[in-house]
Amino acid sequence: MNTSIIKIAQASNALSQFSPVFASQFHTSSALCRVVSGKYRITKKRDRPLTYEMANPPHYIAHRKSWNSWNTSSLKDGLRKSETAVEDEFIRRFINGTWHGLVCSEVIIKRQFNHIRIAAIMRRAVSPTKMYFLLGYTEELLSTWIQCPVTLELQTVDSYEDVVFKYI
Amino acid sequence: MNAIRGLWRSAPLVRNVILNKSTLTRPFATATITPIKPIEDVPSAIELDKLYKRVELEMRGIDPAVLLSYSWFCIAAASHLGIEVTKSWALRKAEKERHTLLRCVHIYKKHRVQYEIRTYFRFIHLQRLTGSTCDTFLEYIERNLPEGCALKVTKVECQKIPDHITPPQE
Amino acid sequence: MYLIFCHKSVILNKLIKMSLFIRNYKPGVAYNAQILWRFNSTTAETVKQGEDEEEFRVLDILHKKGKLQKRVNRRADIQPDRSEKMPTDQNWGNVWPGPRSFHPSSVPLPIRQGYVPKGQAPPGKKANAELMKIPNFLHLTPPVVKSQCEALKKFCTSWPKLLNSEEAIEKNYPMEIISSDYCHASPTIRNPLARIVTLRVKLSNLKLDSRARDKFLRLVGDKYDEKTDLVTLTADRCPVRKQNMDYVNYLLTACYHESWTVEDWETDKCLEDMEYYDFDLNPSKKNLVNWYLMSNNEDNNLNDEQVKNFDVSKIPNGVEYKSAVSELFNEGESDLALNKYDTSVRKLLGLPEKKIAN
Repeated sequence: MNTSIIKIAQASNALSQFSPVFASQFHTSSALCRVVSGKYRITKKRDRPLTYEMANPPHYIAHRKSWNSWNTSSLKDGLRKSETAVEDEFIRRFINGTWHGLVCSEVIIKRQFNHIRIAAIMRRAVSPTKMYFLLGYTEELLSTWIQCPVTLELQTVDSYEDVVFKYI
Repeated sequence: MNAIRGLWRSAPLVRNVILNKSTLTRPFATATITPIKPIEDVPSAIELDKLYKRVELEMRGIDPAVLLSYSWFCIAAASHLGIEVTKSWALRKAEKERHTLLRCVHIYKKHRVQYEIRTYFRFIHLQRLTGSTCDTFLEYIERNLPEGCALKVTKVECQKIPDHITPPQE
Repeated sequence: MYLIFCHKSVILNKLIKMSLFIRNYKPGVAYNAQILWRFNSTTAETVKQGEDEEEFRVLDILHKKGKLQKRVNRRADIQPDRSEKMPTDQNWGNVWPGPRSFHPSSVPLPIRQGYVPKGQAPPGKKANAELMKIPNFLHLTPPVVKSQCEALKKFCTSWPKLLNSEEAIEKNYPMEIISSDYCHASPTIRNPLARIVTLRVKLSNLKLDSRARDKFLRLVGDKYDEKTDLVTLTADRCPVRKQNMDYVNYLLTACYHESWTVEDWETDKCLEDMEYYDFDLNPSKKNLVNWYLMSNNEDNNLNDEQVKNFDVSKIPNGVEYKSAVSELFNEGESDLALNKYDTSVRKLLGLPEKKIAN
């Protein structure tokens, strides 16, 4: 074992003598072990509002918080894995754009048979008439595009402050 | 309520499709079927109900608690309908599909991060169902399958050996 | 217990509404009086303030009141929760008839969900996305399941009484056909794995003679399991289950009838072609029979056919000798087989037993 390592080291030495390109292949500095996606930094004034979803970083999924997409594609031997992921992303973007500035939580997409149920928490900033229009509009367009019955199951809150879990 | 609304809305779509299809197929149908005489009605023998010796349900899901609730529901429904449940159990550990990726975007090969997708399993075995009972029960529990769960039903049907499997007479 | 909890959770809501009521209605109405009495200890001060605002108009230089009134007006047009008006003896199945994401205003339970540091209360049911995520079984409460099953019962038939044991099923319905159905969330209900059909039958249930059985086993090959005596035929080559089912039946029928047909070349099989040692066909039996007849002073002019059909059990210890010889040839030489052969030969010829040399 030791001898082989020495041999490799010798070989690499020879290579490094041969060409400076090989010599620069070794990185000895320590890695920057910081994963930042889905995590939020503390502000100076401690006034950044976080919902429960944002307050728990991604590694707490299935421990402190659950998934935003419920489907059978992610299971073992699931069908239509990539299609489902792309459709979910499309639905999320569409909802966020259609209900602009009203969505207070993550968009939750549940698939049961060919039925897609979309749940979200909305702000009551627009009149109920407009909300009903948007509801029908979203359901109609999404069901035409995805070719599945789509149902929106909304919950409304007065303001964004109702969903805030903590400030950091 | 919402579901009904959705159905109502999708109804014209369906109607369109049906209309289109009928207009498409009609000329063919008239062209081909008219010269051929309609097949005589064969007096159909009485259709016997199938007999299922064993029915095995396999549920898969991402949340074991949801699977447990669903299995309770299945067993309750089976007991109300008078179906024998022989076994109900879960695997002790989930099946994990792991992906190992670099922790950093493209360098530092020593430092990896592992992501895993777990699939929890649960099994229920039923025995001795007639065809109609089996269809009713399966339809009922499949309609109430919660989101994020997949169901696999393995049916063991028992049949008589067909009449033509007899030694030939010479 | 449950009512008390419920009470606490909506206490804030009530407070807001109460102040509204008091602002809009004159005191002395029965409803107001009741509420006043109920919240007497905790909310006396707020009530007083409200009354004051009703009585006197205060000069509002900074226009603070306008802002406040605006917010109050917006809240006033929102309906109160449905769960507050629900009677305790309602039929829950009518409130929550089908699968639906959790909605706090129609569930009269004081549910809380979420992980919080020690000492805090988890977030309540309102504006709680966690509760909306998790699949709920509110539409499948035990009384609802029971009533639905009662309604479904008329479509069910009972299992025949005469088939109430494994043996009875095995005897009358020996063939098994195994297929799988899949239910999953996707726009299409098809799953390619649903096409696979397996047929299983016990070999002893098929009527075969020894030659046909031998040929059948050669035809099915490794699809026969010796331990369980089951022949398992699986078909997955056709795209539809019906086709696979027909194919499996075809396979069984074809193998069965093929095993009964005798080809011309099958009669050409001679002693050297045998893949196992058959005592009846070998010269060993002829020698045995001849020796037996000679030792009994009988006529030993038997032809080959007669020798073949000679019953070995007539000869004393003949069966034992036959099995010992067959074992020796079929399973190879071993100490056990050789010892057995030794003892059987000694018995047959009436020799004394071997003395074990220590």
